Amino acid sequence: MIFIDHLTKQFGDLLAVDDLSLKVHEGEILGFLGPNGAGKTTTIRMLCGLLQADSGEIHWDKHPQNLIEAIGYCPQENIYWPRLTCLEQLIYVGQMYSLPRSMSEKSALKLLSQMGLDEKKGILAEKLSGGMQRRLNIALALIHDPPILVLDEPESGLDPQSRVLVRDMIKELAKRKTIILTTHNMDEAEKLADRVAIIDHGKLLKLDTLEQLKNSVGEGDLLEISIDINAKEERLKNLEVAMAPLSQSVTLFENTLRIRNKDLLGKISAITTVLKEQQIEYSGMQLRKNSLEDVFIHLTGRALRE
Amino acid sequence: MIWPIIKKSIKEQVRNYWILLLTIALAPFFVFVYYLINEASQPSYDVLILNQDQGFVSQGKIVNRGAEFPLYIKSMVEETPEVPLKLKLSQDKAQALKQLKNKSVDALLVIPLNFSNALNDSFGQTPEIEIIGDVSSIPYMISAIWVGELLDDFISLFTGQEERYTINETALGLSSTISEFELWMPGILILAIIMIMFSATIAIITEVDQKTILRLKLSRIKAWQFLIGVSATQVIVGIISILLTLSVAMLLGFEMRGSYLIFLLIATLTSISMIAFSLILAAVMRSVTDVLIIGNFPLFLFMFFTGAAFPIRAKALFYFGDYGISWQGFMSPTHAINALNKISIFGLGLSDILPELAALFSITIIYFVIGVWAFKKRHL
Repeated sequence: MIFIDHLTKQFGDLLAVDDLSLKVHEGEILGFLGPNGAGKTTTIRMLCGLLQADSGEIHWDKHPQNLIEAIGYCPQENIYWPRLTCLEQLIYVGQMYSLPRSMSEKSALKLLSQMGLDEKKGILAEKLSGGMQRRLNIALALIHDPPILVLDEPESGLDPQSRVLVRDMIKELAKRKTIILTTHNMDEAEKLADRVAIIDHGKLLKLDTLEQLKNSVGEGDLLEISIDINAKEERLKNLEVAMAPLSQSVTLFENTLRIRNKDLLGKISAITTVLKEQQIEYSGMQLRKNSLEDVFIHLTGRALRE
Repeated sequence: MIWPIIKKSIKEQVRNYWILLLTIALAPFFVFVYYLINEASQPSYDVLILNQDQGFVSQGKIVNRGAEFPLYIKSMVEETPEVPLKLKLSQDKAQALKQLKNKSVDALLVIPLNFSNALNDSFGQTPEIEIIGDVSSIPYMISAIWVGELLDDFISLFTGQEERYTINETALGLSSTISEFELWMPGILILAIIMIMFSATIAIITEVDQKTILRLKLSRIKAWQFLIGVSATQVIVGIISILLTLSVAMLLGFEMRGSYLIFLLIATLTSISMIAFSLILAAVMRSVTDVLIIGNFPLFLFMFFTGAAFPIRAKALFYFGDYGISWQGFMSPTHAINALNKISIFGLGLSDILPELAALFSITIIYFVIGVWAFKKRHL
């Protein structure tokens, strides 16, 4: 288990990470979510030993002295040596981690094959497509077979085919490794993460399984109705009151009325009746389950960052 | 249509202040540096006098004109500040020649055994005075002209005759036989190594520019391992560069008079020194573009103020033994050029360039310590 304990980091007046504490379980995929500037990257950089914390500590109970060496870090930006071939740079990085050349080469060839890059092993990295460079970026983090993998937006910039390949690979890796995944992509987090930590303003807002997080913003279904916002304010107020018996919660934001309740499908006809009674026109409705995005917006708000 | 473009260009130019600063301040700055080196202090030329005069006895007193001559020069220098000579005395010719080779003096004047007697003999002997120096150097030429003038005045005081002496000029080493082309070669050879400053700085800063330094930071590699790894390649580049330059020079008539092994030693040390300096540059830069723009500043300094492009002379700030360290002495190519001059022009040996090698080595260490510290602090 990795213990992040009361971690704090300040840059001038900006408190980037504010007394952050969490635990990462062995073998899990932990999704690390937060808006821009929330403190995700700063936390990750401290975890990887690239940045010194002002206070607090990071501790790995398996080999306390070797945490940094045990981490494979795949940065958000593709970082590679443009004038080295795929194979050459993987071998080089392996050797930087003290792997013997032969082992480094063996590991590199295996990774290139797993990443679908085996035919490109002799090609200069600068000649690869964006998606291929992204996969090479991930391979570079894995060359020394680290037990902990930190992936910063691993699917960003990937085409759908590459995204599926990378996602499958992450799932496969999760059988043997602990994975920390930072992302803005809720779909990515939902499909991959066992638990999700949401941080904002450097603080941990919530850390739980996906199911628990979704339940935390309301159980059951979510019905979103696009309504005519030009209706009189009084009618809109009445609408919220009239809908109350049919829902656990009703919110109106801009032109979308959100109704949460269990078994909403059976209540749709009653809801449309209320809309007619209140003389509110609607252009469409969508029934769905709570998503991670709902949780994220609920916790971090709608205000734009940075 | 044109005015918005002008306005936009002005804004960009002002905000890209490094380029603007270099463009407008480089030449005035060099004028200032050149003034500091050459004009801020009264130029003076060091003349060493070896007095072998035995003198004679007259009315129970020993008369030694050879011993009086330095005093005469001294009084002339005091009375007439325009006389740009600084005198040193020597008792031993071997030691005096060593000082001359080390360039701690510009000319050596040897006063012969019969100097006083010859001046006392109204019609007979003519004293034969020997002046020794690097005849290809301007400081020697100026020293020789002034010494000749003063000697003429001094002798005429006692003889009433002008030019009643013979001056035998002895060229130091092979300085009398070298061509102007050969004279320039040591500086140009070192310039070949100065140029690796760019490739070395770019090799280092590329890791920062393309952010691959992050991968090195994450791995087990230490800063010094990375820097030595990069430096080793650049030493090879430096040696190839200087050997290629030497080959071209030799094909065109340059004659290497000293040992090739010592030449290689100087080349290697200078390459290491330039790489060490590149670390300092890499520490203050962020991208390859920075290197190509800002790197011109130290390049010009090294080219114009170390003797690589043309000989330059400056007053020593302090001495290590006989070896003076001047303002430009803080730039390592200065010592490399001095050493290469001695090896390739004068055919001297390793023992003759020990002061230069020691200075080159010491400055390289200083560059390395500053460079590694600054690079680690900025980029690692």
